[in-house]
Amino acid sequence: MCAAAAALAPEPESMLAGALAHDLDRAFEHVVIAYRVRIVAFVARMLHDGARAEDVAQDVFVRAYRALQTYSPERRAALRLRSWLYAIAHNLVRNAVRDAPPASDSLEYEDGEPRAAVADAGAGPEELVLRREAWDSVDAAIATLSAAVKPAFVMRYVDELSYDEIALTLEQPVGTVKASAHRGLMAVRAQLEKNDE
Amino acid sequence: MSETNMREFREAAGSAISPGFTAKVFAGCGLDRYVTAVSPLGDVNVAWNACGVTAVRRAGDDEAFEVWYAERFGRRVVRAVEDDPTSTAARAKLRGEQVDVPTDLSECSEFEQRVLRKAAEISSGNARPYAWVARELGAPDAARAVGNALGRNPVPLLIPCHRVVRTDYSAGGYVFGTEAKRALLEGEGMDLGAVEAITRRGIRYIGCDDGTFCLPTCGDVVSHVGQDGYVALHSLEEAHRHGLQPCASCRPVAA
Repeated sequence: MCAAAAALAPEPESMLAGALAHDLDRAFEHVVIAYRVRIVAFVARMLHDGARAEDVAQDVFVRAYRALQTYSPERRAALRLRSWLYAIAHNLVRNAVRDAPPASDSLEYEDGEPRAAVADAGAGPEELVLRREAWDSVDAAIATLSAAVKPAFVMRYVDELSYDEIALTLEQPVGTVKASAHRGLMAVRAQLEKNDE
Repeated sequence: MSETNMREFREAAGSAISPGFTAKVFAGCGLDRYVTAVSPLGDVNVAWNACGVTAVRRAGDDEAFEVWYAERFGRRVVRAVEDDPTSTAARAKLRGEQVDVPTDLSECSEFEQRVLRKAAEISSGNARPYAWVARELGAPDAARAVGNALGRNPVPLLIPCHRVVRTDYSAGGYVFGTEAKRALLEGEGMDLGAVEAITRRGIRYIGCDDGTFCLPTCGDVVSHVGQDGYVALHSLEEAHRHGLQPCASCRPVAA
């Protein structure tokens, strides 16, 4: 059987969308396989709760399937699957957070403006360089981000989605998304530097 | 101090994903999946959901299988892209390994489920009559219903309904055919021809050298007939005359 080989090859987004248009039920497992690690990881990081992440991520795929059932083949074929799945995940994470708000302090004020202490952590390249030893600290820093910047930051710097995709996912202008992601980056960096001191 | 790329960091949070993840997603979607596995009777399709294996049927015609499945279970089944713990366990059991395989019998009636669970207790190398199963379930008159329930076994081979035979120890019906049933039993070491031969001579039980008496299909007891300490018995009274106790394994008489 070629099942194993098919599972190993990464499926390009457009091929998957085409397969969904052709036969949703048969193609759906390929979608789950292609995106489950990403979606579970994204949800875990957004919720800062690995135990609940799988349940929420399962729900992401179930809702995706139910939505796809109502879409015409043309609409399925035209889907930008990755950002579409992130959008569903983002919404379910928001619901999950609303149902059980996290206890951690936010680094930012409610209006999304950074606090003075971490307002400007200095210029640097627009990327996050990670040492394996720092993974836990980065996750801890992400957990402190406000709801206004966290999704854009995680999607941009951890999930490495394009600004275009994030704008689609969050239904915000690209400029807003860029600003949020940047503010998140500055805040995470500041937090990491504080840890190093 | 190795630098790691973002992909590793990203995926670390999703790396502990549990093996039943996809099965739970599919349960939420109302879709079951199937793989083709090797069995003693050749290739079979094994379908499953988050609760366990739902169906085992001969492989070959996917479309016919999927149509049959939708009619019987009211759900669509699609060919799986990858195995999960349930299908992997089913493959191992079909290869002859001793593993527990969860089964989902929820489509069967309560009585059918009891019959199938009883059949599942019969170990390899043994066979029991339909009437025996009926009696064990406390419904001694229900031998025919037992036969019907076994005939509807959705998971043959995994639940060994082939080990339940007619009261005269002829093989009786089977979803994969009577010849397949005989072949399976003989492959497990059951000498059905010898059992049928002594049954035709009116022999009902076999007395053993450990002071018990058995059904002729209790393990390989039939192969000992004629040896020292083994006696062919035509009736319960004869067993009692020899001072024999019923075997605790095959339970030849009602408790």
